[in-house]
Amino acid sequence: MGRVARRQLANVLGALGLVLVLAGLAVGLPAIDQALPADRPVRHDQPYLIGGGIRVTPPRGAVLDVTGTRPGADTGTVLFRLGPIRYSISVRPFDGTLAAAATSLRRRITDTSGYQVTGTQLAVATVGGLTGVQGGYSGPGQGGRYAVFVTDGRTIEVTVSGADLDVGSELAAIDASMRTLGGPA
Amino acid sequence: MTDVQPASSVISVRRPALWIVLALLVAGAIRMVTFGARFATTYPVATGVAVLLFALLAVPFWWFVAELEFLEREPIVLRLIAFFWGALVATAASIPGSTALEDIVAKLGSPHLAADWGAAIAGPSVEEIAKTLGVVAIVLIARAQVNSVLDGIVYGALVGLGFQIVEDVVFALGAVALAGQGDQVQPVIATFLLRGFLSGVWSHTLFGALAGAGIGYLVVRTDRSGRHRAGVAALAVLGAWACHVLWNSPLYGFGNGGLALLAVLVFKGLPPLILILLLVRAAHDREANYYVGHLATLHDPELITEAEMSVLGSGARRAAARRHAGRKAKPTVRRLQRAQARLAVELSRASCSVSDGSVGRCCDEVREQRRIMIALGHPEAVAAPASWRHSASTIATTALAVAVLWMALSALGGA
Repeated sequence: MGRVARRQLANVLGALGLVLVLAGLAVGLPAIDQALPADRPVRHDQPYLIGGGIRVTPPRGAVLDVTGTRPGADTGTVLFRLGPIRYSISVRPFDGTLAAAATSLRRRITDTSGYQVTGTQLAVATVGGLTGVQGGYSGPGQGGRYAVFVTDGRTIEVTVSGADLDVGSELAAIDASMRTLGGPA
Repeated sequence: MTDVQPASSVISVRRPALWIVLALLVAGAIRMVTFGARFATTYPVATGVAVLLFALLAVPFWWFVAELEFLEREPIVLRLIAFFWGALVATAASIPGSTALEDIVAKLGSPHLAADWGAAIAGPSVEEIAKTLGVVAIVLIARAQVNSVLDGIVYGALVGLGFQIVEDVVFALGAVALAGQGDQVQPVIATFLLRGFLSGVWSHTLFGALAGAGIGYLVVRTDRSGRHRAGVAALAVLGAWACHVLWNSPLYGFGNGGLALLAVLVFKGLPPLILILLLVRAAHDREANYYVGHLATLHDPELITEAEMSVLGSGARRAAARRHAGRKAKPTVRRLQRAQARLAVELSRASCSVSDGSVGRCCDEVREQRRIMIALGHPEAVAAPASWRHSASTIATTALAVAVLWMALSALGGA
């Protein structure tokens, strides 16, 4: 009887061990991730290489969020934070037109539940002569801006999100940063 | 002591682990359904096509695994638990775990390190552990069912297969979302060809099989010291991790295009594939020898002839024997082979007093099939000598399949 009980106990402990390891993977690792700081200081007076040879000068007061930043040879993403505002840029290979790139980004925004594109889409240009389009969108409790550029077989997608008031107060600095987008200096 | 032990057919519902594992499966199902519902509502057609295509892809893998365990079939309940552990529990744990670990790499290292090596470090580290736990779960539920290294391989491969199918569906739907063209199926088909065919062979099913072999060894080889067995198991799991790391790593970056893709497959996919298939074959042959050895003690050509013994132990020879039988006798040969396999398992159980006393019934079953075969004019289930026609047809079919796949990939812009 005692032997059976010991076996049952070992079986329970083994199964609880499984639960513990799984919890370590599914909950423990995210908890450790959350506990570590993600922000890194970034210089606002020199271009930051996003990926695919595309650079941008970060806005004054921005920090780099390493969880949304993945530089690469052909592709890349960067995530800056200005207080509660997320300013994200991604570079990907693309062989379509600017209109197609803009449609694709708008579609991805509206495919997210509760999000919709607002207002008219306007032309935008960088200081280096890169032309693109930009517009606005809104979602549950927040608003944002998007911009798209196409250059040398790549698309550059910019999204800015945060509470409407916060975005409005930092928009000038973000626009100035966005206009620095371009290839190797 | 060999690395095969007699199988017991008992799965006890009184094992607490069974209920804990079932609870984990339910929790994983809820998590993955919640996760998938977001895609299913936005991209219903793409989701349906992805689930269908990758579910179909599971069929040949499932068939291959079933052929591996032809001699001693694992209970379908355990096979399904292994499959769904990979599909629901391992994926549900791996999605947040891998993302978090990649972020930790970026935080403790740098975004560059995470971009280059994040997928190679985070994915394998989390996923291989989560999948290996599936084989451990099977051991906790029905220790007696894992009675050979091959059983560990089978359960590990099934856990990996479940994981692979769900991961591929998630990747396909991610591609649909990234394309930003709405509910289109083209990204699903491109993902299916790339991940399902070209990289599917050396993916999770293979890694899971290697890790499962280690757990099988740990459980079965009780003649070895605990430290030795634990060392072998750790080495196998580490091997699965290393194969996965190599596959995900930025090493051997050959650029873009068809030839570059081929080079990646040859240098990163083929070595682990060959290594693991050799291991699987060795484990399979050992199990086959064990069971055929029990049949050999019968010395009864009505139950099994000398020639049939060499056929029964090999999947290829069993298939060749069925082909050789012709259309009419083929089903009977299959039933004879199945009956002989069941008899072998029962004999092994009887040798260790774990039989339910059905050896006699199994003998009757074999004799019945033999009588039918004699009546059909094909008394022995043996393979014909290898014909050049069969070899040529196999090569031509393979070449045709590769060519069609290559053209499809080129048309979709994947190559």
